[in-house]
Amino acid sequence: MMSDEGGGGSVDVEAGPAAAVAGSAELSDETSVTEEGTELERTIGLAGGLSIGVGTMIGAGIFVFPGLAAGRAGPAAAGSFAIGAVVALLVALPTSELATAMPKSGGGYYFVSRALGALPGAVVGLSIWLGLVFATAFYLVGFGSYAAGVLTEVGVPVGNSTVVSLALVSGALLTGLNLFGTENAAKLQNYVVGLLLAILVVFLGYGGLDALGVFGTASAPERFMPFGPFPMFTTAALVFTSYLGFAQVATVAGDIKRPGRNLPLAMVGSVLAVGALYVATIFVATSAFGSGALSSFGETAIVEVARAFAGRAGAVAILLAGLLATISSANASILSTSRAVFAVSRDELLPTAASRMNLRYGTPHVALALGGGPTLALVAIGEVEVLAEVASFLHLVMYGLICVALIAMRRDEPAWYDPAFRVPYYPLVAVPGAVASFGLIAFMQPLSRIVGVAIMLVTAGWYKYYASDVSLKGAL
Amino acid sequence: MRDDPDAEAPTVLVPVKVLEGQALPETLATFLAPADVVVLGYHVLPEQTPAEQASLQFEERAQAAVENIAHAFREAGGAAETRVAFTHDRDQTVERVATEAGATAILLPNPVGEVDDLLVAVRGAIDADRLAALVATLIGGGDQRVTVLGVAADGTDFDAEAAVADVRERLRVRGVAADRITTETAASERPVADIVARSGAFDAVVMGESEETLWSVLFGDETERVAEGAIAPVLVVRRGPATESTSG
Repeated sequence: MMSDEGGGGSVDVEAGPAAAVAGSAELSDETSVTEEGTELERTIGLAGGLSIGVGTMIGAGIFVFPGLAAGRAGPAAAGSFAIGAVVALLVALPTSELATAMPKSGGGYYFVSRALGALPGAVVGLSIWLGLVFATAFYLVGFGSYAAGVLTEVGVPVGNSTVVSLALVSGALLTGLNLFGTENAAKLQNYVVGLLLAILVVFLGYGGLDALGVFGTASAPERFMPFGPFPMFTTAALVFTSYLGFAQVATVAGDIKRPGRNLPLAMVGSVLAVGALYVATIFVATSAFGSGALSSFGETAIVEVARAFAGRAGAVAILLAGLLATISSANASILSTSRAVFAVSRDELLPTAASRMNLRYGTPHVALALGGGPTLALVAIGEVEVLAEVASFLHLVMYGLICVALIAMRRDEPAWYDPAFRVPYYPLVAVPGAVASFGLIAFMQPLSRIVGVAIMLVTAGWYKYYASDVSLKGAL
Repeated sequence: MRDDPDAEAPTVLVPVKVLEGQALPETLATFLAPADVVVLGYHVLPEQTPAEQASLQFEERAQAAVENIAHAFREAGGAAETRVAFTHDRDQTVERVATEAGATAILLPNPVGEVDDLLVAVRGAIDADRLAALVATLIGGGDQRVTVLGVAADGTDFDAEAAVADVRERLRVRGVAADRITTETAASERPVADIVARSGAFDAVVMGESEETLWSVLFGDETERVAEGAIAPVLVVRRGPATESTSG
């Protein structure tokens, strides 16, 4: 009576053509299966993937950088964001291909270690953990600025220390929430991102029409590059932090449904979406105020722009949006940090205790603490620009190496390499991607570069000391 | 006992929260022994935990626990297969495994003693043939009694009388003696609450999978609400691949 149904009770229906993938787990659209036959359900859909990408990125570009970037580059800051978007796309395509070939937790670390070997893998894996810690601290300080802005709006006097204390409290709260299992955190994140996008589209739509003169006279355009073209590139290096989210989609590759389709769509889609929003934001902001005035407003400049358009209501709406955006970025980054720690500890580059989870709450408490703890220490420093640039530095190193990893994979394709998505004309994407990623580093402040290089040296030293005898499963 | 000796035994999927120490009563193993059983040990994780991370640490424990439960079914004389899954979404996993295993019914476990009295609740279009085949397989060789209860929700044109008669006839054809079958019908404003209330007098409940409605998406499947309210285990008969409905 059930002859024409699915597997008829057989256990190995998942073993598709992709079965022989690296890392020994079998893969399908709905599950991966471990060596012992345990099924790991894929539960994150395209919306979930986009929400991780957009949710991680959107906090910084719109709600923290416009003032800082306009102060450095003038209206050409829009060009800086566009450069960032192009670089991000050049990296997102190779990342998509590698992720569909190896849809495993760990993302960039996993590809680099499998294609280029254990040492570069260890440096990337450990640096990206710390890079995410810097990024989280940066988002939290942004959140602190918005929370302080809200307090100012309701008439509570705030000082500089208030920003840092608010950031510390929110960081501790977020880490705690994740430790004790917030079951619907991911769904909540989806709604937050949706609400944010709606507020932004209304705000930018109105502001854009206003700048073009629909509601009165068009604002007199300022010179596009008041400081020449060079600051446009240095600013691109600074604001690249606003694009650090797309590769985080790859860190959940092991849990994403139909990875061959959803991973590329989520990565490329989220870069395009936030890139368009960023460029529009800078256009609107620099049209409403001169870049000098914008710069003097600091991290919450966009609030003053909204106030200019819609009075107090506009300012309050954008303050709330800023709170949501920065907290969603911080939360997404904490989760990515925990996954980054898991990925290196699975390969024994860190003690395996780092990936232990507790059964009562079902959460990876050690990895979360290894993300949240150092984050709070960095928040206490409170230097937004340095935090942002170090985070970018460490990510850019990984991005460059991902492009190199794609080239390495393609030149000598192993039998199991069967990505569902292939980058067309890959050298034309991966080579400029690698050059641009490493190139942006050259435009950073010396302090950020020194901190970044120091972190990489420490991670390489750790590898030599702790893990030089590690052999990776499925390495090229 | 079955009409067609070549027909495969129906498969029952038994999902178990395997790491939370959920155990299955031995009496349930005895009751389900005539069917093929697939024991699905699952563990639901919060979103922040990668399924792979959980499996690295708890895979062996989960597999051992599921093997134990399967062993109990085999001791009782049944055939049992095992599956272990780590997931963020219980329903997605249960539905997928049920489809892959070609399961006729899914067990929503509750504590149970000896199963002597079985309630078959019919309250809408169901796959009467699959339902009858399952019930006949489970109790065909024994002396348990079956009560077929048809509940029509107020304001619907569901013909409970006809549906109940249909199920009764199919059970009889499949070898359940007529004197073991009791039939009842009722009209009710709240069929689910009614079935829950009646279930107290029985050792196990069999009912059809409900159609997905806006209500069920928001407030939970009817069958799940029955399982939560009832003291007895509930066997939910899944819709066949092609047969949309037969009764009514």
